[in-house]
Amino acid sequence: MMDQPECLSRELIAFLKGDISIMLASGDRTGLPTLGRALACDVSADGRRLTVFLAAKPNAALLSAIADSARVALVVNRPSTHRSIQLKGWDAEVAPAGEGAAAAVARHGAGFCRDVGLIGFDEAFSRTLMAHDPDDLAAVTFTPVAAFDQTPGPRAGGPVGP
Amino acid sequence: MSRDISLDAIRTCLEGVIPAAIATTDSEGMPNVSVLSQVHYMDPTHVALSYQFFNKTRRNILANPHAMLQVIDPGTVAQYRLRVRYLRTETSGPLFESMRAKLAGIASHTGMAGVFRLLGADVFEALGIEEVPGATLPVLARNRSLPAATRRCCERLSACTDLEELLDRTISDLRDLFGVEHAMILIADESAGRLYTVASLGYSASGIGSEIAFGDGVIGVAAREHTAIRITHATSDYAYGRAARDSSRELGAPGGEATEIPFPGLANPHSQLAVPIRVGKELIGVLFTESREAMRFCYDDEDALATVAALLGTMIHIMRQPAAAVEAVTEAPTAAAEPSGAPALLCHHAADDSVFIDHQYLIKGVAGAILWWLVRQHAQHARTDFSNRELRLAPCIRLPEAAENLEARLILLRRRLAERCDILGIEKTGRGRFRLVVRRPLALKEMP
Repeated sequence: MMDQPECLSRELIAFLKGDISIMLASGDRTGLPTLGRALACDVSADGRRLTVFLAAKPNAALLSAIADSARVALVVNRPSTHRSIQLKGWDAEVAPAGEGAAAAVARHGAGFCRDVGLIGFDEAFSRTLMAHDPDDLAAVTFTPVAAFDQTPGPRAGGPVGP
Repeated sequence: MSRDISLDAIRTCLEGVIPAAIATTDSEGMPNVSVLSQVHYMDPTHVALSYQFFNKTRRNILANPHAMLQVIDPGTVAQYRLRVRYLRTETSGPLFESMRAKLAGIASHTGMAGVFRLLGADVFEALGIEEVPGATLPVLARNRSLPAATRRCCERLSACTDLEELLDRTISDLRDLFGVEHAMILIADESAGRLYTVASLGYSASGIGSEIAFGDGVIGVAAREHTAIRITHATSDYAYGRAARDSSRELGAPGGEATEIPFPGLANPHSQLAVPIRVGKELIGVLFTESREAMRFCYDDEDALATVAALLGTMIHIMRQPAAAVEAVTEAPTAAAEPSGAPALLCHHAADDSVFIDHQYLIKGVAGAILWWLVRQHAQHARTDFSNRELRLAPCIRLPEAAENLEARLILLRRRLAERCDILGIEKTGRGRFRLVVRRPLALKEMP
């Protein structure tokens, strides 16, 4: 676990940029959790900040909870291998997606299609799951303060070093 | 969040084809999100989640029972968010066993056999379901209407007048109305903790008379737990063939000869569904179907076959009632043909009532005891015509369950003889009456 904000390891950054599936969660003021599917994630040049892109309207409640609490949990997993990492942050900010989002989303969408294709899901399935309105993208940016290995097995739940 | 979408409407999302995601929060409000391999439909307002590891999700739901799930329909790709509240964890019993079997299939299918292991079934109340706005694919219509097939099957079963007709009609309807290719009906012997096959469909050998112990494979677990067990992907965890053979060997055959009728099931099934046949709380047997195709049987198929099994249970119960078993001779039996040719040797082992004909294993247990009694009556009194009632009263036939399953034992014996023995046969001569057909002279030998 990272006690202080540190840069993400090169290996973890490579995993985040790979062929993955992404889910983002938060909690509202009353403690009710909410979640949604993200379309891409990007790591800042210094490796300390993560930006997650997602469709805004389908995830309105999630974005509102993040704007309210600034707390997020992000799980990225590679469906074909089950490798799964969770990252947490408490300084999340919501903003409209800027330039570069479309390219990140397109790149991630292609990677997602590739990976789930390995386990038998066709392109019609994965493209439909990744379909979105390009004018309706939001960006959630946060500093990961903790990372956990959630790959099923004996090490599940253990902290991941930077 | 809308309450308009019910769990019933999104059951295809809950087959474990695509992992779900669950979000929880701890007592400080910090969120946690993780991937879930199994969300199990229980009823219109409850789901159960597989608890496999003591992780953050589990710590959180024990502190704050509110959670949110996101699931995907594997056909239409529609996504749904479910707001749920944790109620309890079950670590044994029907729900747990249903989930454990299905999880074994999911684990095997996704390369996680030996990793996914069910510790408990976490029961949640569904408080609300919303569809996540987004693109979807068109719904593919099923080629068959399951409710229509179920209705037609139930109408036909209701018209059956005896157990044999009921079993045959069930098998032919599974094939013709439900498109099932492989099926079995097994009757329970509660006192022995075993089930024996009385009808089957689609196997190279019928397996009539083969036995399964309670607890073995999907059939045995369905019998032990009185619950439907359904597997949607191939898994070795519930391979009953080996277990059935091993338990049979343990019984030990007199003289070391094999007294086992091989279980006929598919070698590599990808889908299996076993539904208990019950009347009230009593287990009568198991209705079983399987397929080489993955995902062949879904929640709707399970409901359809459970409905058929419920009617089967009721019909069998009605047929057991004394009024239904009026032993009227419906037609005057014609004279039996005389045996001819070289004598056949019939050996009986009292230890397990196994009967061998010309050193070939034929049958054992209650059906073996019935056969031995019949051939002795034939040898001593030259009798060929018998009634079910005298079998019930014969002291040397130890019917374990208050004579209620005599009819099923006779069907098993008749079918086994028809398949394996051209010397002996059993023919019905009226309701509750039958004839022993002896085509060659018999030499009877009681083994020590």
